Amino acid sequence: MATILRERDWQVRLYIYQFLVAHTHPPTTAEAAQHFGLPEADARAAYQRLHDAHALFLQPGTTNVRMANPISAVETAYPVTVSGRTLFANCAWDSLGIPAMLGADARIDTLYTGTDIPARYAIEAGELRGDDGLVHFPLPFRHWYDNLIHT
Amino acid sequence: MLLFRSEEDIDRWCSATGEPRGEAVPLRQVWQLAQAWYGNRMHPDFRGRSALEAGAVFASVGLTSEFWRVS
Repeated sequence: MATILRERDWQVRLYIYQFLVAHTHPPTTAEAAQHFGLPEADARAAYQRLHDAHALFLQPGTTNVRMANPISAVETAYPVTVSGRTLFANCAWDSLGIPAMLGADARIDTLYTGTDIPARYAIEAGELRGDDGLVHFPLPFRHWYDNLIHT
Repeated sequence: MLLFRSEEDIDRWCSATGEPRGEAVPLRQVWQLAQAWYGNRMHPDFRGRSALEAGAVFASVGLTSEFWRVS
């Protein structure tokens, strides 16, 4: 059965995104609770509902945010330099999702998969510059949520 | 979703790792997809996206093959 999110859940979700962008790491449930003036148990429950609804993804067995797409809370092969800070994207697609989401210029320095060859590309004033390439989508959309970390 | 130089590199990677072989999309088209998919992700009124809406996003950037069918 689909998880129904409450209005407060969506507010918590937006707070997590804003915090993650500002601090380059996600807020704990204690920080979210303090921000909203909630008991921490309520913040934990909100994080879990957001996970269950695929609005963000938690580290298994915890209430630590692992992914708030397109941003990863852990280091990945796709660092995105944007507005003077480095955020990590979950994948090559998400490396472009970060500047799309923020409406900002960005630079991505990575390697072509399976090689030691640098791939450097950027978004400048809404245009893609630099190296080209192909992004491989291994699974069709209808299976994306079967195993998100793999996808 | 990983970045590759060529279709041949993707084939080699999938053979070596057992990763399913899906579809390769040029980075420039992925930039279009990223804007359509993530452009409103931090808007205060963002409330997720249905599968039907996801399909419309794919179609809007030319991803219309069977692979991109949403159900």
